[in-house]
Amino acid sequence: MSRAVVDINDLVIGYDTGTRQVRALDGVDLTVFADETLAIVGESGSGKTTLGMAAGRLLPPEAQVLGGRITVCGVEVTQADDPTLRQLRHDRLGFVFQNPTSALDPTMRISRQVALAMGGRPGSQAIAELLARAELSEPDRILHAFPHELSGGMAQRVVIAMAIARNPELLIADEPTASLDASIRARVMTTLGKLRAESAASLVILSHDLSLIARHADRVAVMYGGRIVELGPAAAVLDAPAHPYTRALLAAAAGNEEPGERLRPIPGTPPVLAGRAEACAFAPRCLFREARCEAERPEARAFAGRDVVCHRAEAVIASDAPPRQEVR
Amino acid sequence: MRLVAYLLPRIAAALITLFGVSLLVFLSLRLLPGGYADILLGPFVTPEARAIIAQRYGLDQPLVVQYMRWAGAMLSGDFGVSMVTQRPVIAEFLRRAPVTLQLALIALGVALAAGYPLGVLSGVRAGAQRKKRDFGRLVGAMGASVPDFVLGSVLIFVFSVWSLWFRVGGYVPFTADPVGNIRSMMLPGLTLSVFGVALILRTTRDAVLRVMTEPHITAAVARGASPGTIIRRHILRNAAIPVVTVTATYFGFLLGGAVIVEVLFSIPGVGLYIFNGLLNRDYAIVQAGVLLAAVVFITINMLADILYALIDPRVGAVR
Repeated sequence: MSRAVVDINDLVIGYDTGTRQVRALDGVDLTVFADETLAIVGESGSGKTTLGMAAGRLLPPEAQVLGGRITVCGVEVTQADDPTLRQLRHDRLGFVFQNPTSALDPTMRISRQVALAMGGRPGSQAIAELLARAELSEPDRILHAFPHELSGGMAQRVVIAMAIARNPELLIADEPTASLDASIRARVMTTLGKLRAESAASLVILSHDLSLIARHADRVAVMYGGRIVELGPAAAVLDAPAHPYTRALLAAAAGNEEPGERLRPIPGTPPVLAGRAEACAFAPRCLFREARCEAERPEARAFAGRDVVCHRAEAVIASDAPPRQEVR
Repeated sequence: MRLVAYLLPRIAAALITLFGVSLLVFLSLRLLPGGYADILLGPFVTPEARAIIAQRYGLDQPLVVQYMRWAGAMLSGDFGVSMVTQRPVIAEFLRRAPVTLQLALIALGVALAAGYPLGVLSGVRAGAQRKKRDFGRLVGAMGASVPDFVLGSVLIFVFSVWSLWFRVGGYVPFTADPVGNIRSMMLPGLTLSVFGVALILRTTRDAVLRVMTEPHITAAVARGASPGTIIRRHILRNAAIPVVTVTATYFGFLLGGAVIVEVLFSIPGVGLYIFNGLLNRDYAIVQAGVLLAAVVFITINMLADILYALIDPRVGAVR
């Protein structure tokens, strides 16, 4: 396997809400390799944003690292001092956020913001070239615009251009297309993928959009209850899920249903952990649950070409396609 | 052209406001017990003498007629004459305006020089550490809640006992004695500035705190920008809009005549003039004074509107 860009070991992160501790990450192990696209999938509250932000130590002050290590491009992020972190973010990392319009300074022309991201004193020619790389048509016009004068898709391309301005080794995109119109999502994703490939960077996409991931990711990590419950090649995980949560997610996703079928929402709500989960966090919502699931914390094990955190993986993968509800 | 479109509704609103102010000051003066005749003639006077005075100044006319006459005169630029001195009111305002302006500029200068940097500092510290309490809130709350007359009285007491270069009262024009002028203007200026420091500090602090939670600041942090760059390039400008608004309001309030402080320190500015006019029921002075203050206040706020359309491109289409 190729070189690891990110190496996360038994990471535990909690949020101090003032009245109580909420555990967002409950022991995450993950490696991101050079030149790959990894998608992290899960509902809101599953911990995927916490994980992504933790890689750049961009978590709010309420977040506390309770255990574990994150090494990004050779820097131990949880221990690093501010200048080292700044250097790491500046030289090696690029972030793309969910809402591009609010990720741009509303009072500053695009040219100045992009110039700040590039560093130094780039000429407008260089800025326009960078914007053109992000496949913005009419870069010269956009240079002089303010963020509120751009469409969401254009703004996201500007944000992407700024993220790749210094050829980062690692791009982290948190729901990069969620706030965009459906018609341009695919194109923005294609641009992001193309730019990643050009620079041989690693791309981590945090998303809940399975159809998006299926097309762009090499590997998929499914998160639930602050843990990665299934991790493996995108094709294997999405075609034959071995974790009941992955299976339920696929059943709930739009896009691969037959006419006349109803999407099946996952019953129940995601857990809010106060401490280390001592059983399977998904058990209360699980169709495959047995006594053991509510008594014993499952650990990651290699199975069917992936890592899965489930006592019942064999039964899950052997079951038919996710049950669908017929429309009566 | 877009500037005109931006300003036109504001000018219309300003004119309506001025009409309201003129009505309010006109009526409230006449609701006060006692009138000019009582001040001039004293309590033991015949009704005949009273009637002569009332007739001479048109005070026997119905209120509507009085108002129409006054408003008509104001519209044609006639501010009336002081009933006490028989001198044109406008001449007296113009003579005193520079004094009030100087006082206002001192107070504004101190308020901005102290309030803005302290507000930024306090906001950045609070934002970075999520601290709810710090010196910024303390200074802001104290400065805003100490009344002018209390603070002025304390300063007068302290600097009467120990002069410390400053002078209590004894105003001299700048042209006659610059140093003496500064020595006498600093204490009233400082008294006025304390509220401004608190106001600008708190507004700046809150604005900085709000801006720091915006995603584009997180984005800048994620790009590895240094704190200095983030503050200079992103926070200051974005936080400036509410600060411009309160600064304009504060400056307008100062220019309207800092009545209490001018009276306290015997500064012969517009505020003292209006105050004396009020004591004498010298209607023309008070009415013109309040209306002029309103004009100044509204004009300054309109300038602020234009200014923040320039700061924030989303606000208006001025360019």
